Amino acid sequence: MTERTARGNATTWGATAWVVGVLVLLVVFPLTARDRLPDRLATHWGASGEPDDSMPFWAVTLLPALIWLLIAAVAVLGLWRARRSTGTALASAPGWAGITLGFTGVTLLGAQASIVRANLDRTDWRDAGSATGWVIATLVGATVVAVAAQWAGRRARLTVPPPSGPAMEIPKGQRFVWLSRTSNRWLHLLAAVTGILTLAATAGAVAGLGGGLEGTVGAASFALATVALLACSSVQARVTEKGLEIAFGPLGWPARRWPADTIASAWAEHRTAMQAGGWGYRLSGLGTTVMLRGGECLVIRTVKGKDFAVSVDDAERGAALLNSLIGQRAK
Amino acid sequence: MLLRLDVADTRPLHEQVAGAIRRAIAEGECAPGDRLPPARDLSQALGVNVNTVLRGLRALRDEGVLEFRRGRGVTVAQGADGRSALLDRVREVLADAARLGYGKDDVIDMIREVT
Repeated sequence: MTERTARGNATTWGATAWVVGVLVLLVVFPLTARDRLPDRLATHWGASGEPDDSMPFWAVTLLPALIWLLIAAVAVLGLWRARRSTGTALASAPGWAGITLGFTGVTLLGAQASIVRANLDRTDWRDAGSATGWVIATLVGATVVAVAAQWAGRRARLTVPPPSGPAMEIPKGQRFVWLSRTSNRWLHLLAAVTGILTLAATAGAVAGLGGGLEGTVGAASFALATVALLACSSVQARVTEKGLEIAFGPLGWPARRWPADTIASAWAEHRTAMQAGGWGYRLSGLGTTVMLRGGECLVIRTVKGKDFAVSVDDAERGAALLNSLIGQRAK
Repeated sequence: MLLRLDVADTRPLHEQVAGAIRRAIAEGECAPGDRLPPARDLSQALGVNVNTVLRGLRALRDEGVLEFRRGRGVTVAQGADGRSALLDRVREVLADAARLGYGKDDVIDMIREVT
């Protein structure tokens, strides 16, 4: 039908080929070298590069394949749900699915190749060679693939023009102001739990339990988690003649502001946590999303082409007011 | 919620704030029982001092449009939508009466005469 659907189909085929290809390779690698491998294979190496754990041959063959199937199933489920809820092709698919498939695929393949290579032509797993160099090479390769997948996802996204947003009539001599807020009680609850843990860790550190430095680091990290969770647990959106302002947390700090002349367009969109890549402040192929609940989101595209979304009620009218303010300014 | 303000309005700011909220309630922006945005949010959005906003909110509470509840913030009172629309019309009547030279007591007498 359209170019977008065609690209969506190509992406689907590409993803399927990748999943099946990695699956076959993971099983075939050890099988082809069966005659040159010991019965038990070294699968884990100590810090000194000496093998310190082993697995039977069949486990080495099947375990990575099972892990891969599980991860692929989660990613496919995410893509399917994203497609069903938006009704659009994979051009708007969550970027994390591509990144996850790329990264874990390369990591598993590299790990499998390292294991086979280290065990090749040995009679006992304890004699297996070191795998450090291979592991480093694998991680570097996986990171490169993940970055490439992210970049490709962003490019695919950016070629989609912004939906023409709604607008509203602002009568002459009137000033309109729009406010909305959302909170997530689970994140509130989680923040309360880490808050209690902070107190416990601080009390422990003060009492001298569990080592001075470790106790302090523990208390500090719990405190940091509490602040981060609190900031993500509620959000206020305001549209005034100055533009859009998003304030986080119960204190309204930190806050982000977009003056009206830096925004190209605004619209309302239905997004789920699955698409945004989780709860809270999310960076994904869709741009930045502040996801506190699935459903209606206010989305803006800046003049630089970056997307920002926040899950708030009544987003349609917020977007309409923002578009009208942009239009007024342009005149 | 969407708030409308008249740029040319010469009334004191707290009355303008109260007017904007009253109008929002009358137009169904927030239903009875809904929680109003915190005064700090309103003050930042409207570009007015928090105390001015609070003064407007207190006036609305005295009118019976809003309820202040400890721990629950400011909520819209039951039946406030109808009441607030009616109050707006009464205010219009009073303004018209003043233009014609009638005071508040004259209007009250007139209302008594109407059966």
